[in-house]
Amino acid sequence: MSGRAVRVLRLGAVPYAEALRVQERCVAAARAARGPAALPVPAAARGGPEEPAAESVVLSEPAQPVYTWGLRGAPGAAEAAALRARGAALVAARRGGHITFHGPGQLLAFPVLDLRRRRLPLRAYVAGLEALVLRLCRRLGLGTARALPPPYTGVWMGDSKLCAIGVHCGNHITSHGLALNCCTDLSWFEHIVPCGLEGKGVTSLSRELGQHVAVSHVLQPFLDSFQEVFECTLVSSEEPGV
Amino acid sequence: MPWLQQRLNPLLVCCKCVTVFKQATCHFFLKRQVCFLLARKFTDKHEWISVENGIGTVGISNFAQEALGDVVYCSLPEVGTKLSKHDEFGALESVKAASELYSPLSGEVTEINAALADNPGLVNKSCYQDGWLIKMTVANPAELDELMTEDAYEKYIKSIED
Repeated sequence: MSGRAVRVLRLGAVPYAEALRVQERCVAAARAARGPAALPVPAAARGGPEEPAAESVVLSEPAQPVYTWGLRGAPGAAEAAALRARGAALVAARRGGHITFHGPGQLLAFPVLDLRRRRLPLRAYVAGLEALVLRLCRRLGLGTARALPPPYTGVWMGDSKLCAIGVHCGNHITSHGLALNCCTDLSWFEHIVPCGLEGKGVTSLSRELGQHVAVSHVLQPFLDSFQEVFECTLVSSEEPGV
Repeated sequence: MPWLQQRLNPLLVCCKCVTVFKQATCHFFLKRQVCFLLARKFTDKHEWISVENGIGTVGISNFAQEALGDVVYCSLPEVGTKLSKHDEFGALESVKAASELYSPLSGEVTEINAALADNPGLVNKSCYQDGWLIKMTVANPAELDELMTEDAYEKYIKSIED
């Protein structure tokens, strides 16, 4: 374990909106940690003691079903009414990617990282998220999981998506992230074209492994993989940026 | 002063930007930066702006488009939107990542690049020409002075890349 500390906020089963609120606070903390001027880290300071970057990862399991979309993929009025009639909430999110589903049985991870400090280009960060999920899959015995290039960003088992990725980057600080189906009720995905990709399916860890895999079973291997890929030490915390 | 060309009696024509000046003093004042109005200025968030006849054209730099990856969607403001310097005016989506755009100056959006709707990849292929994002008025020309010149921006990129 090496590298800078990143706070982990394990929210448990909370509404999606609550996870978004916690994420907002984490983003504000990351911005505040930058200091008043948005200047690049000067050469003299590099290699010195690590300043607190206030990076965090918000982990949650959506307590109720919700459909979300990013810059694109907003449902039309009729489709929105149909989705609501099934008992799901509808939320627009400032992230990349089309419409997708979040609900119980899914691990939602929102890494709030400072890409400028890490000198990481955005697409390398997205590749890092894919690498992290692939490591997790290998740990769980799914060696054939693979990541595909855009527009099929995400982690797949064959033609079915296991983990969706949709990220936002403002001022080089990331938010939103990934949604990994552990034991999600996959029938919720039948009412949309997930991520706007026609003809592709969805799957879950439970389906692929042939046994019930709860979100709680996956947390520790997820955190281990996260520490490896993003070269950091995860520290449990109640509050972002404190 | 090689840029001070033909005396079209009694006018002076700059050979670089074909701007017509009535007095030699205008260009003498600008002699270090002929056509500085056309030179690109950069923000620390990797947008550029180039002002001509009071209208600024805005785009993202080559450094930014490489870091983003292939742009698949451009979310741009409506014509008439009033922006203050640093305001978010849109976002670019690539690799399932939405990345915000920040206004380099204060002004009003006069035009958006309609070609990007069908061909968002122009932002990657031609970030300084065909991949421009919006055009806007320049409400406060003094704000241009706060932006980086191309040289300063090159140095800035090197410092963050090390």
